[in-house]
Amino acid sequence: MPAHTAAPSWGQRAFLALETGLNRCFGEQANPLYFLGALAFYLFWLVIFSGLYLYVFFETSVVQAYASVDALTHGQPYAGGLLRSLHRYASDALVLVLMLHMLRHFTFNRHRGFRWFSWVSGVVILWLVYASGVNGYMLPWDRLSQFVVTSTAEWFDVLPVLGGSMARNFISNAHVSDRLFSLLSFIHIGLPLGVMALLWVHTQRVPGARILPPRALMLGLLLTLCALSLLQPALSQAPADMATLTSMLAFDWWYLPVYALVAHWGPLQAWLLVITCSALLLALPWLGGRALASERTWTVAIGQENRVIRVRPGETLLDAGLREGLDLPFACRNGGCGLCKCTVLHGDVRLLPYQASALTAAERGAGLTLMCCAQASSDLAISYVPPHDPARQQPQTYQARVTHLELLAHDVMRVCLQIEDAKALRFQPGQYINIALPDGARRSFSFASPYRDGGSVDLHIRRVEGGRFTPGVFDNMRVDDVLHFEGPLGTFTLHEDSTQPIIFVAGSTGFAPVKCMVEHAFQTGMQRQMALYWGVRSRADLYLADLAAQWARAHSNFHFVPVLSEPAEQDHWVGRTGLVHQAILEDFPDLSGHQVYACGSVRMVQVAQSAFVHHGMLSDACFSDAFHLAAHG
Amino acid sequence: MAKPFSALVRYSLQCAAYAAFAAVIGYFSTAPPYRQRGENEAVLKLSFSHSGQLRFACRQRDAAELAKLQPNMRSAMDCPRERAAVRVELDMDGQALYRVSADPMGLQKDGAATVYRRLNIPAGTHHFSAGLADAADGLIHYRKELTVDLQAGQVIVIDFVTGSGGFVFTRG
Repeated sequence: MPAHTAAPSWGQRAFLALETGLNRCFGEQANPLYFLGALAFYLFWLVIFSGLYLYVFFETSVVQAYASVDALTHGQPYAGGLLRSLHRYASDALVLVLMLHMLRHFTFNRHRGFRWFSWVSGVVILWLVYASGVNGYMLPWDRLSQFVVTSTAEWFDVLPVLGGSMARNFISNAHVSDRLFSLLSFIHIGLPLGVMALLWVHTQRVPGARILPPRALMLGLLLTLCALSLLQPALSQAPADMATLTSMLAFDWWYLPVYALVAHWGPLQAWLLVITCSALLLALPWLGGRALASERTWTVAIGQENRVIRVRPGETLLDAGLREGLDLPFACRNGGCGLCKCTVLHGDVRLLPYQASALTAAERGAGLTLMCCAQASSDLAISYVPPHDPARQQPQTYQARVTHLELLAHDVMRVCLQIEDAKALRFQPGQYINIALPDGARRSFSFASPYRDGGSVDLHIRRVEGGRFTPGVFDNMRVDDVLHFEGPLGTFTLHEDSTQPIIFVAGSTGFAPVKCMVEHAFQTGMQRQMALYWGVRSRADLYLADLAAQWARAHSNFHFVPVLSEPAEQDHWVGRTGLVHQAILEDFPDLSGHQVYACGSVRMVQVAQSAFVHHGMLSDACFSDAFHLAAHG
Repeated sequence: MAKPFSALVRYSLQCAAYAAFAAVIGYFSTAPPYRQRGENEAVLKLSFSHSGQLRFACRQRDAAELAKLQPNMRSAMDCPRERAAVRVELDMDGQALYRVSADPMGLQKDGAATVYRRLNIPAGTHHFSAGLADAADGLIHYRKELTVDLQAGQVIVIDFVTGSGGFVFTRG
């Protein structure tokens, strides 16, 4: 289970060093650099709630705008004054946190591939936050407001459509009307609403996204901003007066640097710079770096969940698991806390940079890895300690309608199902479902055909005399009957990352998942050598032998060997006899270098596995799915 | 692995980190100050929106021209909508301060020509002379002169209002 570690870039090393220091101060589970997105959310809410209070007292008129803000600031310093300052400083901190958030994702290459949407929506959010902040500086109608409205108008006036008409609104006091403040207030509500909507979209694409940081951080940040508000309250400058222009302004460099550029470079040059920077930021996910598009998707089998999930190129195991709804242990998501450790049972991972304290060399040697930093570089099998009671995790349930019934043998029925909400069901060949009986009992059946668009699946159901479900399939089930099931379940899936020849071992209706795998292999053009050994009692049990023989004729890399354990005289059987695993060992005395997929009764699988290991098969090259017939099947 | 800090040290370091954060936020929230004009400078704003004269005079259509038009378009007079560009010459103390020629707005160039320009000028007494040409002949048809004493930071606005006889100088 090798793990390759990506060498950190200088930017990553800088972040890791800073994070190491902050880990020692704040602890790994409250390191602010691990919660930049959540901190931005929190600051945004602080801005919103403080702004709502300010808005109650704000007068939207030329004469009263300045006076109302000034009265709020000095008349109630304990509330309005404090909240005004908090509004200002939380907005400033929001810009800093957003920029750090984006810089960190860029540095750790977490903006490429499928993450492009979050990156692009993040860039749009950043600009909307800027626009909201700049707009906010227009409202108090002081000298800075005068500068911001005039500069904004002059900047926009170079655009062809406006051509100088916007700045005329601010050439003298007589030109400014009360309507301006209604418009500015409207924009100051509309833009944050846009930010809110985009934040929702932004986090929808991030599985398990936290929208609030740890409580300790929230409290610390709030106290810090309150302390800053008391020490350096946000105050208005002199009232706006279009008849004069002050020489110096107290300037908010978090929001207004572009206006300095407008003044010193010229409005057109500032537009070019802003547009170029925006285009560059938006294009970053597709510029340079490692091409994720050429990489492939891998599967991860999770033993205790009986699940197989897909990991997209560039996706960490944690993100993939959370996206699939798994209840995974995690906190920092950045290789700092070590909560998301898992054991890699099979396959290779590529580890992104992480804190050495989160995963020691000894732990790596023992096969442990950090799900938040591990990307699959082959199909994987992992296990982990779930953070909550596994009983809380309910598998997905579906409803299906019977569309076709076909008797394949005297005791095997092919049941075709049309699944409702089929788009949500994506299974791997080899997996199974649990059909729910009215009393809550479950009966397991493997998919007998690969996934088909439209959501139709096949099951091979063998009759168990005296059972509570299977006799009804033969005696009472009709087309259009409705079944409820949960799934897909099971980790018995085809490992397509290997080039080793495959030996399929099927016992009785264990042929169903093997059929699903083989047909999937044919569909995907797999060129590996495949041998199918199907062990049954008598010839009548080889219910799809003709199909398997037809596969062998059509595909030179496929070989079919039926094996009867108790052939009847009337079978006139001239083929292989005995136990199926013995037939395999006769043909393959050395099983090293082979992968074996065995599905059948528990006894068959156990005996075969043990015998195969004695003949050189590696334990991680044998995949099995053993079933037992329910006592009242 | 580094030895963990005691709780006292950890909280002290957290306070220091928060203080550094607040210091960075607080400082750049108001500083360094931004200079938008020189200490001894006044401001001149030239701003107007004025429709130039029609570029071409109306003329009578002859019978052949009328016959080529759709019946509902057969107006006897042909009056092109295009207006002349508006040209402004602004001098200060006998020196050219600003020259601009603004085209009419609109696809047909039949709208008003708009000019806005903010200029920082030295404070003190100045003699301004503003001229405007708004006809196809390009000649200055409007001119106004004014001597004014401007304090540092004071804004003088030069507007053009046809109903007021042309240029309007407004001091702050």
